[in-house]
Amino acid sequence: MEKNIYIIKAQEVFDAIVVGSGIAGGWAAKELTEKGLKTLMVERGRPVEHRKDYIGEGLTAWQMPFRGEVEKAVADEQHYVQKKCYAFNDATKHFFGNDKDLPYSTPKGKPFDWIRGNQLGGKSLLWHRQSYRWSDHDFSANARDGEGVDWPIRYPDLAPWYDKVELHAGISGSRENLEILPDSQFLPPFEMNPVEKEMKARIEKRWSTRKLIIGRTAHLSVPAPQHLAQGRMQCQARNECQKGCSFGAYFSTQSSTLPAALATNNLSIATNSIVHSVIYDPKTNRATGVRVIDAETMETREYFAKVIFLCASTLGTTQIMLNSVSERFPTGIANSSGVLGHYLMDHLYGAGAKGRVEGFEDDYYSGRRPIGLVMPRFRDYNEKNPNFKRGYFYMADAQRAGWEQMSSSDGFGVDYKARLRQPGPWYFNLSGSGEMLPRYENQVSLHPTLKDKWGMPQLHIDCAFSDNDWKMMEDIADTAANMLETIGLKDVTKDIRAKRDWNPGLSIHEMGTARMGKDPKTSVLNGWNQAHDVPNLFVTDGACMTSSASQNPSLTYMALTARAADYAVRQLKLGKI
Amino acid sequence: MIPALPSGRTDATRRAALKQLALTCGLVLSSSSLSALAASFSAPTDFSRRKKTLLAPGQLALLQELGDIIIPATDTPGASAAGVHHFIDHFIAYCAGKQEQQQLLAILTRIETAAQSEFNRAFLTLDKSKQVQLLNAMEQAQQGFSQNDRKGLKQLKSLVAFGYYTSEPGATQELAYLAIPGGYKGNFKLKAIGRAWAQNF
Repeated sequence: MEKNIYIIKAQEVFDAIVVGSGIAGGWAAKELTEKGLKTLMVERGRPVEHRKDYIGEGLTAWQMPFRGEVEKAVADEQHYVQKKCYAFNDATKHFFGNDKDLPYSTPKGKPFDWIRGNQLGGKSLLWHRQSYRWSDHDFSANARDGEGVDWPIRYPDLAPWYDKVELHAGISGSRENLEILPDSQFLPPFEMNPVEKEMKARIEKRWSTRKLIIGRTAHLSVPAPQHLAQGRMQCQARNECQKGCSFGAYFSTQSSTLPAALATNNLSIATNSIVHSVIYDPKTNRATGVRVIDAETMETREYFAKVIFLCASTLGTTQIMLNSVSERFPTGIANSSGVLGHYLMDHLYGAGAKGRVEGFEDDYYSGRRPIGLVMPRFRDYNEKNPNFKRGYFYMADAQRAGWEQMSSSDGFGVDYKARLRQPGPWYFNLSGSGEMLPRYENQVSLHPTLKDKWGMPQLHIDCAFSDNDWKMMEDIADTAANMLETIGLKDVTKDIRAKRDWNPGLSIHEMGTARMGKDPKTSVLNGWNQAHDVPNLFVTDGACMTSSASQNPSLTYMALTARAADYAVRQLKLGKI
Repeated sequence: MIPALPSGRTDATRRAALKQLALTCGLVLSSSSLSALAASFSAPTDFSRRKKTLLAPGQLALLQELGDIIIPATDTPGASAAGVHHFIDHFIAYCAGKQEQQQLLAILTRIETAAQSEFNRAFLTLDKSKQVQLLNAMEQAQQGFSQNDRKGLKQLKSLVAFGYYTSEPGATQELAYLAIPGGYKGNFKLKAIGRAWAQNF
């Protein structure tokens, strides 16, 4: 990466500013620069250079002093929230925020886990990479049952943009022709193992409404020419993704959108630049730039542009908007509706069941596959719901037990060692991802007094699972257990982790708080991710979401961002913004 | 298409293998990109963070003995040759809470006092058969051992297994380890390796 792309101070007025450099920010920068806009990407964290800064990559367990565990003092003092993330370990912890520097408040008894990836590339380095299109069933969900406002778009509005981003990012999967989970532009699917194939056969034979298919993921199962041109290689199934991947085998800002944006020579990047607020000019009713606090020196500076894309993560974007107050917008920029900060959602994770599969002792697998299986939604689609609104899909996989599961078994010595040398029984599990209703009460606001070390007002996050959410989690676990017992699995156990240790936020699919909608009185953004109130201000990260569906949302952020960038540039050229 | 890569290699051979892999995949990289790619695989190891220990010399010696009773040397190294006792000594000091530290100390004490009361000798000086006899009774919560003793012993075994199967000999000799598997094969027979895969972390 050329060093001169990094700037600190700038006198010029850029064509565009993109706040954030994760999945949405990377796509905004790529699309805007490729359309000829001089673009400044503003990132609050440090630079992370592809390959060079993946300092944990390639470390085996025995090459780490605590075999991947993080010292308790470090985890407890600096990462007391981040340590709850499944991907947090000794080789990835530098890609997670330091919680001491990133305070937020929650009401007593209503915890929320806010996982932060504040560096160039953001959480695109850390994401789990599952990539699913949303369907018309999802975009019409609010209209159908009256929860939340209607989406201003439908599937056909987004379909060509899904095509576009998928071809660039590289999504592996199998063509299934399912209306509820539309196919992507696929690279070849990852394989299922024999037990997964058997589970698929048993389930699909018993229920015509349920399909079990290989998951879809932003990994180069077989790279296409455009991926090789990005400098990316085939996925090696190492399962080191969140350490950073020098093969560029999974989509990240560094592997995929940043090289494309840099190739245009239209991109500048300001790192360590914490956006305090958006600058608003009441005379023109336009956003004119951003106020920035330097993360290291605490100095303030301003950047200016004709159009501004906020892609600072769901809650990061809304925090900036709430803090952008003016006479015209006393409660936050573009908030004439009063809904900014409201309708926060996450996905319902951690409910499901697992069971032991008899037989298949001679079968095994090789490599650490970066994706499991999925069972697309059947609740509220082609099967009735017992007692709740909306639905869920299942993630699934079959694996053999290893020493982790068998190490506390009885015995000592040669026999014990010989037993643990062999893989144990097969287990198959189903784990839900449920749609969380958009509710006004689930909201974020600026704390009236508390600030972080840079003087930014802290976010106060007030979010809890609703009665509907709990009923859905019960159904996810019960239905999974019933399914596994029906197809003959043994030792079936079910679980709902939210009853123990899974707080809202921990699915890391936080969505909403600056929602899209048709009516400026009840939504912040229109159908082009453009602020109803301020026409040159766009929000294309998770903050824009009007409902949560049950699919992983990042692919939809990519498509929405590409579509919004195209619209913004057309409007700019027409002189309308 | 993807060359087979050996497991348990040195960093130098790993870099060479990676360069070969990049070439085989038809990836066009500048020489600086290629050396950056290779450099990212020359794993930095930071063991300077690992100085503190929890156990007194006698406790460490007991843990070493117990490690080899649980996972002895066979056609592959056992727990002590893999340095499991040293690893646990550091690991518990840095990564465990006070309660877990106390549990480890308590089970070591329990084993030692049981040896004294049963055989009137230190555990380390007992015959192997007597050592195993005592541990079996404890694991079955028989002959005066409680369910709590059984639980403590199970925790110790899990800790030894963690230390062993994440060690280099445990992962690469006892189990099978591929740093760069080259892809996922869903149709793969166990007899091709005859043992379980080590995980990476």
